[in-house]
Amino acid sequence: MTKILFSDKLDKCVERWKSAGLTVMGPVQRANIKTYAAVEHASEFDFGLILTDRSIKDLFFPQTEPMLRYTIKKDAINTDECLPPREQRIIFGARACDASGMAIDDPLFGWDYKDEYWFQRRNESVIVTIACTNADEFCMCTSLKMAPDSTKGSDVLLRPLENSKGWQVEELTERGREAFKTIADLLQEGSDTAAPVAAVAEKFDLDACVAWLQNPENFDSKFWKEISMRCIGCASCTYLCPTCHCFDIQDEGDTYSGIRRKNWDSCSFALFTLHTSGHNPRSTQSARWRQRIMHKFNYFPSKFNANSCSGCGRCSRECPVDMGITETLQEISKLSQ
Amino acid sequence: MSIEEQYRKRAMELLSGGAVKMVIGYGRGSNAERRRPVFISSPEEVNRLVLDEACIANLSGYLVNEGLLSDEKRVAVFLRPEGIRAINILAAESQLDAEQIVIFGFDVSGNEVKALKGIHVEEFEDVIGAIKEHAPEMGNEELLEKIEQMNPQERFAFWKEEFAKCIKCYACRQACPMCYCRRCIVDSNQPQWVNTSSHSLGNFEWNIVRAFHLSGRCVECGNCDRACPVNIPLRLINHRMAQEVLKSFDHFAGMSKTQEPVLASFKKDDSETFIL
Ligand code: SF4
Ligand code: SF4
Ligand code: SF4
Ligand code: SF4
Repeated sequence: MTKILFSDKLDKCVERWKSAGLTVMGPVQRANIKTYAAVEHASEFDFGLILTDRSIKDLFFPQTEPMLRYTIKKDAINTDECLPPREQRIIFGARACDASGMAIDDPLFGWDYKDEYWFQRRNESVIVTIACTNADEFCMCTSLKMAPDSTKGSDVLLRPLENSKGWQVEELTERGREAFKTIADLLQEGSDTAAPVAAVAEKFDLDACVAWLQNPENFDSKFWKEISMRCIGCASCTYLCPTCHCFDIQDEGDTYSGIRRKNWDSCSFALFTLHTSGHNPRSTQSARWRQRIMHKFNYFPSKFNANSCSGCGRCSRECPVDMGITETLQEISKLSQ
Repeated sequence: MSIEEQYRKRAMELLSGGAVKMVIGYGRGSNAERRRPVFISSPEEVNRLVLDEACIANLSGYLVNEGLLSDEKRVAVFLRPEGIRAINILAAESQLDAEQIVIFGFDVSGNEVKALKGIHVEEFEDVIGAIKEHAPEMGNEELLEKIEQMNPQERFAFWKEEFAKCIKCYACRQACPMCYCRRCIVDSNQPQWVNTSSHSLGNFEWNIVRAFHLSGRCVECGNCDRACPVNIPLRLINHRMAQEVLKSFDHFAGMSKTQEPVLASFKKDDSETFIL
C-alpha cells in the first residue's frame, strides 16, 4: 500500500494550501507560453506538458529584481535594501530536471557569499515534482546520469498512476512532509500501480566528454569554431536554462535617486566579457560557446562536484539555429572515441 | 533533376573552380522537420546541402559576420525572396558589396520548392516587384485582423501582455539580418539610453526601439518571431510599420541595391502629416 493523491482531490488541496497561507504555483499555458505561474484553482494546471518553455529558475532567480533603492542629497546618501517579498510557496508539478537544476545551483549561490535573494526563495518553497511518463526527443536527463524520477532538489515526488487517476506520493524532505500534513486527510492508502517512467535514450557518453574537455590541448581545438559557426549569439539557451545563473548588476536612475537591479546576463553575448579598454578575451562566438560548455562540464564540476546541466534539453529545443548542448556533446563523444 | 540536385551541382562547380569561397545553405537538423544553416567550403561537402519546403530561415544575416567578406572573395547563399530583399538593403546601407554575393534563389509555396532564376541581386527585381503588388500570406492574418479591429486601449493591453513575456534574450535582434549594428543602442551605456532590465518599461523600450529601427527596413522574413523563445508575434509589429511606410512614402524595403533608406532620406513632396 502506498499513499495516493487522487486528481479529483487536487482542487481541495489547492484551497487547503492557500488557506494555510501558501501561494500555489505550477505548470500552466498562458498567453501562448508554457510556464510556471501562480494558480487559483487546480484546473489551471497543465500536467500534460512534457516540459514548460520557461524553466523553474524564474521562480527563484527572476530575470530582473531590485536590490536597493538610493537617494543622494547634498549631505546624505540613503540606501534601502530590497529583499524579495516574503511568500511561502508550493510549486506543484515541477519536472525532475527543473527541480534538480535548483539543487545544482545551491552551492554556487552559497559559495563565497550567501545570495539572500536566492536562499530566501529556496527556503520558502516546497517543490513537488511529478515523474515524467512522456519525454520528447530533446529530453536528455539520462545522459546526465539522472532520470525522469530523480529526487534531487524535490521535496515530494509524485508518480502518475497507470489509471491516470492521480499520483503515488513519496515525501522526501521535512519541508515536503510539512506541506503534505495540511492535506493528510485528502490522501488515501491504495495499491494502484504507478505508470512506468518515460524511456529517455542516452545521447552521449558524459564521462568521455568531461575527460576530453579537461584535456588542455582541446581548448584550442578547431572543433569549437566548426560546431558553433551558426550560433547567432542570443541568450535563448542561457535564459531558458534552469542552471545558467550569470547576472549583471545595473543602476537605473540618475545622480539623485535610482534603483540597483540584478539582471540575467549571458555568456553568449559579445558584451559579456568586453573590457573597458575595448579588449575582449572572448572575442569570437566560438570562444563564447566553448565557455558555456567548459563552464557546465569542466569548471563548475571541478568546484562543486556536479555538472551544471540537468538535461532538460531546452537549449536544443529552443535554439533558433538548431544548436544545443546535446549536439555538441554528441560530437565530443565521437571525437574522444 | 530536382532543385536540390541542381543547386548541389552548381555549388560544386563554384567551389571547385574557386568562384566562391563558401556556400551558405541548409543542412539536416536534429529531427526530420528541422533544417539548420550549414557553411560549405569544399566541393566534397556539397551533399550536405538540403533544399526543401522546410528551408525557411533567412540566411542573409551571416553575410555581415565580422570579416567574412573583407577578403573581397565571393560567397554564395541560399535565399528566398525576403533574403534577396535583405541583400539589397544591406548593399544600400553599405554593409556589403552586392558583387560579392552569389544567390541561389528559391521560393516555397505549399510543399513545392521552385528555383528563382538569376545569380546577382539585380536579376530578381521582377520577383520583388511582384511581392510588392501581391504580398504572400504570412499565416497570421487572423491575428493581424483582430489587432487591427482593437481600439488603442485594447491594442495597448494586447502588446503589454505580449511584452510582459519578453526576457531580453535578444534572439530577435541576433536573428534579424537588419540588426547588424556592431553596438546596439541597448548595449550602449555611456549614456545608457535604454534600460537593460527586463521589466515592463525596459521590455516596452526595447521592442518599440527595435520596431522603429526596422521601419522601412524589415523584409518580413519572420526570423525574429521564429527565434523568440516566448512566442511574441514580433513580425506583426514590423509588418504594420512596413504597411505604414508603403502607404506614406511608397517605399517597399529591399527593391534594389541603390534604394535610398526611407528614414535616412527625404523628398520634397514627402507628406508631412505627422509634423505638428
Ligand atoms: S546556441 Fe542557439 S540559443 Fe544559444 S546563443 Fe547560440 S544561437 Fe542562441
Ligand atoms: S544546458 Fe541545456 S539541457 Fe542542460 S540544463 Fe541547461 S537548458 Fe537544460
Ligand atoms: S524584423 Fe523580423 S521579419 Fe523583419 S527583417 Fe528582421 S527578422 Fe526578418
Ligand atoms: S526574442 Fe522575444 S524574448 Fe527575446 S528579446 Fe526579442 S522579444 Fe524579447
